[in-house]
Amino acid sequence: MERLRIPVEYTTLANGLRVVASPDRSAPVVTVGVYYQIGFRLEPRGRSGFAHLFEHMMFQGSENAGKMEHIRLINSSGGLLNGTTNYDITNYFESVPSNALERVLWLEADRMRALKVDDENLRNQRDVVKEEVRVNVLNQPYGGFPWLDLPPVAFRNWPNAHNFYGDFTDLDAATLEDVGNFFHTYYAPNNAVLLMLGDFEPAEGFALAKRYFEDIPAHPLPPRANVSEPAQTEERRGEVEEKFGPLPAMAIGYTAPPRGTDDWYAATILDRALHGGRSGRVHRELVLEKQIAVEADGSADTFDTNGPTQMVTRIFHKPEFTTDQTLAAFDEIIRGVQENEIREDELDPVKVKFRADFYSMLEGGMGAHMPRFGLMHYLACFTLFDGDPQRINTILDGFLAVTPKQAQAAARKYLVPKNRAIVVRRPVAHGAAR
Amino acid sequence: MSTKTLSVPGARPTTAPALGPERPVAWPRQSVRTLSNGLQVVLAELHTFPKVAAQLFFRSGNAAVALATPGLAEITATVVRTGTASRPSRRIEEDLRRMGADLGTHAGADSSAISIAGLAEFSGGLLEMVADLARNASFTAEEVERERRQKIEELRIERTTPGFLGSECLRRVLFGAHPYAIVAPTEEQVGGYTREQLADFYRRYYVPENALLLAVGDFKTGAMFEQIEKVFGSWRAPQPEVQKSPAPPKNIGRHVHLVHLPGAVQTQVLVGNLAITRRDPDWLRLTLANSIYGGAFHSRLVINIREQKGYTYSPRSGAHPLRQQGYFSVHAAVRNEVTAATLTEIFYEMDRMRSIPVTAEELDSARSYMTGVFSLGVATLDGVVGQLANVYLERLPADYLETYREKIRALTADDVLIAARRYFDSANAQIVLVGDRAQIADQAALFAEVTEYDAQGKQTSK
Repeated sequence: MERLRIPVEYTTLANGLRVVASPDRSAPVVTVGVYYQIGFRLEPRGRSGFAHLFEHMMFQGSENAGKMEHIRLINSSGGLLNGTTNYDITNYFESVPSNALERVLWLEADRMRALKVDDENLRNQRDVVKEEVRVNVLNQPYGGFPWLDLPPVAFRNWPNAHNFYGDFTDLDAATLEDVGNFFHTYYAPNNAVLLMLGDFEPAEGFALAKRYFEDIPAHPLPPRANVSEPAQTEERRGEVEEKFGPLPAMAIGYTAPPRGTDDWYAATILDRALHGGRSGRVHRELVLEKQIAVEADGSADTFDTNGPTQMVTRIFHKPEFTTDQTLAAFDEIIRGVQENEIREDELDPVKVKFRADFYSMLEGGMGAHMPRFGLMHYLACFTLFDGDPQRINTILDGFLAVTPKQAQAAARKYLVPKNRAIVVRRPVAHGAAR
Repeated sequence: MSTKTLSVPGARPTTAPALGPERPVAWPRQSVRTLSNGLQVVLAELHTFPKVAAQLFFRSGNAAVALATPGLAEITATVVRTGTASRPSRRIEEDLRRMGADLGTHAGADSSAISIAGLAEFSGGLLEMVADLARNASFTAEEVERERRQKIEELRIERTTPGFLGSECLRRVLFGAHPYAIVAPTEEQVGGYTREQLADFYRRYYVPENALLLAVGDFKTGAMFEQIEKVFGSWRAPQPEVQKSPAPPKNIGRHVHLVHLPGAVQTQVLVGNLAITRRDPDWLRLTLANSIYGGAFHSRLVINIREQKGYTYSPRSGAHPLRQQGYFSVHAAVRNEVTAATLTEIFYEMDRMRSIPVTAEELDSARSYMTGVFSLGVATLDGVVGQLANVYLERLPADYLETYREKIRALTADDVLIAARRYFDSANAQIVLVGDRAQIADQAALFAEVTEYDAQGKQTSK
């Protein structure tokens, strides 16, 4: 088996900003990211959706680069940029020809140092975010299924259980003062990692990072919030009305083992045996063999969460099967991996596919024009959550070593009713679409 | 309006650093060969990760048969992956997983494709899988029936999706009698296709003379050619006939097409007109003009209706280079009450592009954007595959990729003006609105005569 070795260099600046460099001179481009360890889990109460709204505000102007300047400077350098808000991280990233590396660092440092935004910017982006929520959730069949449906049913602690995209009343309530407070609380160099990947010498990249970022003052961070969940004692269920789509759908989420534990490795491989396209047991049984479902697959946010998270199965089933019939067929699959070990001749290919998917993610992961996005993303998570970006070169070992017995033990321990939540999407208008 | 500076002290440069000297873009070396059976093969080595991606294209897609059998190419492609003479469906999926591979079989308007990507250590097996699917698909009755039902359920979901309904309607009004007018079959059509029709499409069009094989990744070119010769060399079949398509209509004057989606809380706005193919001498001019108009984040339309007015999250324009006849379109999903205001701005920005030359700074920015994004696409497997597919599927000049950046750099403000006048045809543009009639019909009527449709595509007015 060919083993890939990714070059990774790592340092921490005097202000606590962690800096990771991964050189690759094969093409004259660089990808740069700044990851802040704050996501929608820890947005303020009464301000659902704020972490994401705030992410938009980071594109509205910083001290020396006013509104649209950031975007203009990246696009006119031949680059692309974006940002995303996740459970435990918010990222800002650019891919550019490598001659723009210094310019990108200047821009990211400028907005880490000082945001410069006004009420008009906030009003504008609140409108933009509402249209984002409409186009992705409120005006789409199965919009928000199941990523917005499951957390309020599965979890009890507000950070894990609220509407991450935001209620419109909460978005309307957000003020410029909230923006300032959030920035001052979480957007500190000592709460972030800067990543540079691609066509540059690490020594040169570190020198530039020092030059532009090191004099941004560190500030004290709030004590780590408690995002743990009270013990669950029974299966949880919820139902959401499906306004447009014609098919009933359901999502089953099992709360995953804590990051980095032996069970975490085993449950991840178990997830890939159950899901992962047409060869996964769930799709094979429900879609190809029993033909109850039109689509069935699932996944777990293995690498980029640092708190309660679930392995989620999504099933769109034929209207002639009831929820109970569909769930019974699903449960039979779960019983299968609990009662019998998954044989090595099934588990070994699962691991080969896991390795191939891992490489694909590192190589791209965000379309054809954002080289090494996935490598950046994983390096950021290993740095912020585990304190060690070098884990990129060893993390596969733990997954590839999972045995049939360990996978079975994880199934018996985690894939149980009192560790799961089920949400059903029930179509209201299926006559209308036919 | 109050401005709040959330500032902390520290000395630093207050203007953006200049760009450094540009490093040349080294295009991965391509090797092109045509096998004795007519199969064209293009290889490019990329050794960054131990992966190989291969795509086998056939230059016949839905348009080849759309007038008689819409969507037949797509459903044929779907069934291709479900079994061959020696591999039943389950075996195919297990073989793929053993090679760490993903497989896709799809048909667009102009081509059908079998796409595979997997670990480089299995490149021989990946090629054998592609060849097996291309030559020996079995079209068993059971698999056809299952995929038929899947397709029907997918269609039902698509008919509740605003983005799908909008592009379907725009294509229909722009292309009329031309096969590009049809982007999806009806449920009845899918229900009526026989396995013989699928197998017949496959026999006629999945043939080496009609095919292009691209492989990019971590392999040695010489060994790869040998492997390809071994796997594909004995494949023989006659070349298919290509049928001539009726011409699309010439739309004179604006017209509004309103697709009624009851309960919609947003309106999908589209504006479009016919344009050109990638082979047209104006193609690069058009793409540059498009990037200034609405094809980039920093473009006029995005600044106007997103960053200034907050009407929409993701407005974009695009030039779509179908093989026989391309088209230009603009789309934005907006809140219902600003539907008319959005259309006004879309046309304002089109007319501004048509009447006033772009500034030197805008031109320079846009050229850098185009050449830079092109370079980014050289750095990923998907990017290289995509760019090679553009060149070889459309039979563009062999130096297209190598000369792309210098050709973009040579374009002027006049080129942009010419492209805008020719292809941003605001006076004759077709307007498509997908939304709740009660919320938007009055606004629609401000722009032109309105024809209404239901979500099935059936005309419900006039």
